[in-house]
Amino acid sequence: MSYFLQLLVSGLVVGSIYALAALGFVLIYKASRVINFAHGQFIAVGAFTVYALVVYLKLNVWLSFGIALFFTALIAFLVEKLFLKPLVGQPIISVIMVTIGLASLLDGLIHLTPFGGGNFSLPRFLPEGGVSFLGVSVSYPQLLAVLLTALFLAGFGWFFQRSTLGAAMRAVADDQMAAMSLGVSVEHVFALAWAAAGITAAAAGFIVGTVSGINLESLVAIGLKVFPAVILGGLDSIPGAVVGGIIIGVLENLATGYLDPLVPGGGTAEVFPFVILLLVLWFKPHGLFGTEEIERV
Amino acid sequence: MRNPWAQTGNYKTDYRQDTAIFATYLEVLSLWAFLAVLLVLPFFLSRPQMFVLDLILVYALAVLGLNITTGYAGLINIGQAAFVGVGAYTAALLAPSLPFWLTVPIGGLAAAVAGGIVGIPSLRIKHLYLAIATLAFQIIFEWTVGHSTILKQGGAISMPRVEFLGYRVGYKNHYYFWYFVILLVVVVLAFAFRNLLRTRFGRALVAVRDNDRAADAMGMHPGLTKIFAFALGGFYAGVAGALYAYLSRAVVIEDYMLPVSIKFLAMAIVGGLGSLVGSFLGPAFLVLLDLNMEDLANWLKSLGLSYAGVDIASAMRPLTFGLVIVLFLIFEPRGLANWWRLVRNFFRNWPFKY
Amino acid sequence: MRKLGILVFLVLSFGFAQKVHLMWSGAITGPTSDAGKYYAQGVEDYCKYANEEGLTGGLTIVCETRDDQYNNANTQRNFEEALERGDPAFLGYSTGGTLQLKPLIQEVGMTYIPASYHIGNIDPPNNDYLFLPIVSYSEQVIALLEYIAKEKPGAKVALAVHPSPFGRAPVPDAKEAAKELGIEIVEVQEMAKGLDYTATLKRFANKGVEYIVYQNVAGPVATMIKDAKRLGLNIKHAAAHYAGGPDLLRLAGDAAEGVIWVTSYYMPYEDAPGAAFVKKLGERYKRPADTIESVHYPSGMLAAAIAIEAIKRAHTAGKPVTGDAGREAVYAEMLKLSFDPGLAVGPVTYSKEDHVGVDHMRVLEAKGGKFVPITEPFQSKLFRKVHYGK
Repeated sequence: MSYFLQLLVSGLVVGSIYALAALGFVLIYKASRVINFAHGQFIAVGAFTVYALVVYLKLNVWLSFGIALFFTALIAFLVEKLFLKPLVGQPIISVIMVTIGLASLLDGLIHLTPFGGGNFSLPRFLPEGGVSFLGVSVSYPQLLAVLLTALFLAGFGWFFQRSTLGAAMRAVADDQMAAMSLGVSVEHVFALAWAAAGITAAAAGFIVGTVSGINLESLVAIGLKVFPAVILGGLDSIPGAVVGGIIIGVLENLATGYLDPLVPGGGTAEVFPFVILLLVLWFKPHGLFGTEEIERV
Repeated sequence: MRNPWAQTGNYKTDYRQDTAIFATYLEVLSLWAFLAVLLVLPFFLSRPQMFVLDLILVYALAVLGLNITTGYAGLINIGQAAFVGVGAYTAALLAPSLPFWLTVPIGGLAAAVAGGIVGIPSLRIKHLYLAIATLAFQIIFEWTVGHSTILKQGGAISMPRVEFLGYRVGYKNHYYFWYFVILLVVVVLAFAFRNLLRTRFGRALVAVRDNDRAADAMGMHPGLTKIFAFALGGFYAGVAGALYAYLSRAVVIEDYMLPVSIKFLAMAIVGGLGSLVGSFLGPAFLVLLDLNMEDLANWLKSLGLSYAGVDIASAMRPLTFGLVIVLFLIFEPRGLANWWRLVRNFFRNWPFKY
Repeated sequence: MRKLGILVFLVLSFGFAQKVHLMWSGAITGPTSDAGKYYAQGVEDYCKYANEEGLTGGLTIVCETRDDQYNNANTQRNFEEALERGDPAFLGYSTGGTLQLKPLIQEVGMTYIPASYHIGNIDPPNNDYLFLPIVSYSEQVIALLEYIAKEKPGAKVALAVHPSPFGRAPVPDAKEAAKELGIEIVEVQEMAKGLDYTATLKRFANKGVEYIVYQNVAGPVATMIKDAKRLGLNIKHAAAHYAGGPDLLRLAGDAAEGVIWVTSYYMPYEDAPGAAFVKKLGERYKRPADTIESVHYPSGMLAAAIAIEAIKRAHTAGKPVTGDAGREAVYAEMLKLSFDPGLAVGPVTYSKEDHVGVDHMRVLEAKGGKFVPITEPFQSKLFRKVHYGK
């Protein structure tokens, strides 16, 4: 039992990282119908910014985290203004391709910093050890990861439900034409959605930095793991992103725990989420919470 | 009178003339001249240069397939390299027992079957969801190869040396031999690609891309049409993969992974989606860009333009690759094929511009 | 007039040292570039040093490092260029690229020294011209198992390997060796890029695993070691060449304390001539501290040293060192090469049957943030028996 619980708990930690990443992804999709293949790079920008500030400039971790949130949001905002705005109205493939191009471009820019290759590890700022209950051990960084995720999700929930800006963003996601006629600046909302996605990406990057090492390749790989999460949850559903992310994280851990011994070589966690993705696409294409599109000729 | 050598005005009087591939004799002539150049080109190139040329042509095949799935039918395919890989691994498994002129088409068929299977979800879902399905296929393919002992778990499966009509292919003539094989396949498949749009099936692809509900109302089956598009695109990819296996003498998983799929997409975009000429210009442009970036990077390195811990050279390739994609999409979404079209139209009317 | 110019040029070039090109093609960027970039610097620096100090028998050896981005097509093209230019030997890099080139290497008879210590490189077929600089991954892992069997007879071991041919290479040999040694390999687990290895570790612990042997890269190993410490598991970690080293210490911090690691190279802070030499070269060519610290820097040097030595010997014996005849001459020298460049813990010896250069290695243990040798240089007793059945 404690084995199962431990898998569940560590799945929850990984899942909360996915959930944060997926949240940003869905924000962009909901507002502008763009699938962002550069999301992993945003996560990397956030993580490396924190690292650079903490290690090179010897700033306080939390201050660095705050700056990194802002910086990544700014980058995402600029990306939207520079590269996606000119493509409004273009076919969907152009928009997808531009994010793929951006992924490569950002990769190149990261290579211009010392973070292109190699592995980095944030200095420890939390006490060693952690809490144990029912034979399950959770380290402080993991605890922090879950708390931080919950905090961010609550913050974004509040923002969308209560603030005017959040309401405007929801309006745009619902019906662009109607929102425009009510005086909402759609252009503005698109850019803001990207900035918000930048914030969640940076948060995800920071959390990865606290629970394990950071490395460009594995941060970018999180950007891919987002796909199963959002498909499971429904591409345009914010609660779906969170639930989907957590479920994928837990399933990954359960796969490692119970499936790996059955498969020679193991490593099922790498592929299991994508098998789920295909199954969801076959049997419930719009995910758990996604809206089914109704089309007319 | 109509001048058969230049298009000085619109003299088309029936539908057949309108769908003709060549508007003027000049175009026919230039095509033959181009093919002639391709035939004699090997006599002027060294082996490493031949390898690059072979590579461009094989990539062009894969990109042609992508242009059917993504260009004609509008189905974004982020797993083209996996289809290429299916062809390559099929060829590698069959090569010890079958001659290459059988393994190459069989490789294509295997990838076509894979394409059909990946396309099955298109009976229910569309657009972005399908794109994500192809991404899943790519990742599942990589994992499966890595866990199959018969495929050496992604390690190298050597291809046997080919003997053809008593002609044994060794390292001196390897790239030359395969050049002519590839060229033949490319000409045949490019011809098929060009004519696809003149058939019922080809036009169905475009109709489904532009509006699948309307296509449905006109009596086409959108789901089956999409599966057909995936299968056909997969066939081209599989043939490319089998040829690539012979060309590189061994099949290794790294050549068929996600970054390669992205490279194919970039080639299709840069060349111009759905364009025959673009399917060649795109790969040529990106392969040559990559080569030049290597030289530029080496030159930058020799200048010592690098500060502690940073290798500027390493940034050049992803940076330019990304920049090229983004700039093309923003400033020339129709790709290099559009430049080609402008040049061609200039000569089509020349010297009687109006 | 122009003819005269060519003539003058020819005469002059005969007057000066003959030039021989030597190419290295590997990942300076892209996957595994954190090893490749230092390896490239090692090749470059040793080459410069050899030319400046006259270790080339009067030849000028022009070394060129090419970035193939871990892309096999690029490796193949670079190899073709070297072949076309008449290079007598080639320095390679990745497992995939080397395995793929094997048929061509065999056909053209080019001496090829990869950075991948995959045993499949020098196993038949098409293996005549491939030479490993140091012991193979299989031998490293078996050496670790031997060490473990001595430390704790009958131990339960798990292998954590990279999901690639590189990682999977030693698995069959390791299983054989474990049988011989009377230790049990409980599981073989592929792992990379994970954020959390709790599930894997818990499973290992449930099965009573006492040692984890890594054939992997440092990133995932560090995460796993840290997770094991957090979970309070009493598991020891043992890393093969590419899984350990200073990189691992930097990433895992004090969780790495007690990790054992096997390699054939010296550590830069050691009091050994080889270590001093690496440091000297790094300082001479103004390399940053992380280069000098990296174990891949001397690895690159060793590969270059082997190729240069063989070329030099062929040249001093009065044989041609470029073109078809050059390849043949250098290969003949490789087969009887036996010398000690001092870069590793043993001499480089090759023969017709033995394509492994340095046959010795040491086990090191992380103590106080440093890897400290805990054994003398030794050879694996079991490897030959297990792999070749003799």
